[in-house]
Amino acid sequence: MPASLAWIAATPKLWAFLLLLAAVPAIVHDAYVLQVMCLAMLWTVFASSWNLAVGYAGLKTFGHQAFFGIGAYVSALISIHAGLSPWLTMWIGAVSASIVGALVGLPLLRIKSLPHLAIVTLAFAEIVRIICSNLVGLTRGELGLSGIAPFSAIPLPWGGQVGFGPADRQASYVMIWMMMTTTLIFLAWFVRSRTGLIVQSIRDSQVAAESLGVSLTRYKLLVLAISAFIAGAAGGVYAHFVLVLTPTSAMGIALMVQMTAITLVGGIGTLQGPLIGALVLTLSAEGLRLAGDHRMLAFGLLIILVVLFAPRGLARLDVLIADVQRQRAARSGS
Amino acid sequence: MMSFAFLWEQVVNGIVAGSMYALMAIGLTLIWGTMRVLNFAHGEFFMLGAFLALTALLGVGLPLIPAVLVAICGVFVIAVILHSATIRPLMSRPGWDFSTIAATLGLSIVLQDAALMIWGERFQALPYFVEGIVHVLGVRLPAQRVLIVATVIAVVCVLTILIRFTRFGMALRAVASDAEAASACGVNTARVHATTFGIAAALAALAGIILAPIIAINPWMGVPPILKAFVVVVLGGLGSLPGAVLGGFLLGIIEAVGVTVFSSEWREVVALGVLILVVWLRPQGLFGKPLREA
Repeated sequence: MPASLAWIAATPKLWAFLLLLAAVPAIVHDAYVLQVMCLAMLWTVFASSWNLAVGYAGLKTFGHQAFFGIGAYVSALISIHAGLSPWLTMWIGAVSASIVGALVGLPLLRIKSLPHLAIVTLAFAEIVRIICSNLVGLTRGELGLSGIAPFSAIPLPWGGQVGFGPADRQASYVMIWMMMTTTLIFLAWFVRSRTGLIVQSIRDSQVAAESLGVSLTRYKLLVLAISAFIAGAAGGVYAHFVLVLTPTSAMGIALMVQMTAITLVGGIGTLQGPLIGALVLTLSAEGLRLAGDHRMLAFGLLIILVVLFAPRGLARLDVLIADVQRQRAARSGS
Repeated sequence: MMSFAFLWEQVVNGIVAGSMYALMAIGLTLIWGTMRVLNFAHGEFFMLGAFLALTALLGVGLPLIPAVLVAICGVFVIAVILHSATIRPLMSRPGWDFSTIAATLGLSIVLQDAALMIWGERFQALPYFVEGIVHVLGVRLPAQRVLIVATVIAVVCVLTILIRFTRFGMALRAVASDAEAASACGVNTARVHATTFGIAAALAALAGIILAPIIAINPWMGVPPILKAFVVVVLGGLGSLPGAVLGGFLLGIIEAVGVTVFSSEWREVVALGVLILVVWLRPQGLFGKPLREA
């Protein structure tokens, strides 16, 4: 295999697992299970976008829920008011999120200060949410924006068509699987590309990267724009999948906490982490019927426990087990 | 409409709101200054203070001042315990700058949910501590609001004396400027960190308690104040105590005047505007040390 394709060979387990997921709708026909799986895959895309910024570039942001929400609302509102197809508007939503990301990042990424990044992104996202709920005339605020069109049906070459409404969960599953797979393929390539390696060198040491002539601001801005674009695209698909948006559900702090828990439990700074985290957390939350009241409590506790006891997450459980064994060996040796 | 008297009234109202922002921001900036930790759970100490005061005052039936003291001490103890369970073990490991933020984020959600389970989601209120209307600087104000400003000014004075003139204050400043050197000189760094965290949480609790008669007490009441406190610490300069105080008053006044120009729903937009402007024009804030350009 040529060296330019080595990134494909680097993560064989990930590709195998994605192929396995592609087979799910052929076996499972239950609409509820498919619905939950679709959401888990959307959270994978969303968590991957944050993972790119935090895990790979070291940009400790806490405002990605705003990019998700901007993608969702822009796509939904344009499709409602201009009558455009969601297939088009979701890209407009993603580009809008990316532009907003760059505008916030432009002043913010010039400075190296981590707390400023964390504070300003979180405050920015919360204020965007408040603005969104105040614009009742446009967004209907917390009453919820409904009447969002699902993805329009696609005619098949051999006649007939495939729809993406609430009744066609298998088609939605395939579409969202394709979106997730495209995202992960892109990220797998990106993190092993020249640009991706430079970005990771910034994460590991800003000073060292800068001393080797890396323009920190330019690369950080690039990562934030890509990351916001992916988050916005996930939001756009989410809008035309669940068909109703409220500022709290589409850009609230709860969304950010859920995504943080997914990324940390799965393993931050790994490609498969968000996927593992999203599947484990979404499915177990549904399975344990933690829906509603105490789901957030579980996510909050998980975040604390993971950073305390398993900072590499489920993706690198081998590291954790090796650590425990080493400690045990050290104890029995002494 | 926009007479001078009206504008002046807004400025005075802004000072009242700003004093609460200042009290929250002082705690955040104190924690950052001594241990370089961003406390995302700070708003929840504000909330816990109000709930504990509610329970002590109406549930247990304590008189006002003991109830307030019990609530503040309660939050101090809770904060010290949470600090030693989460932040302290993380501080000695690599990547602590991010893991402590994540841990306090998790803490804030857990505390909200705990409050929801203990006190329920019903909005509750404390009675006014003091009744009556006072004329201050030509503006009629409820006495409770004057009490808020007076409390904040008193707290700032006590805190300044504590930091400047006591042994603990000396230890705190030593730890803030160089934790390793301080512990080499015999300062118990861990204890200074825990105490600082507790004091900061107690200040947030105090803010929650004195504001409780004016706003509804509920498990999520800590979220708006911490957002404002974030804007204030960026405006005043992260880690700067005078910055937090002046930044708090300044943001309160800017918001109050901004709201008269736009309308009251746009209060948060004014805050966002201030935040973005500061990051563009003076990222180190009014009193912060210059940040390194990237």
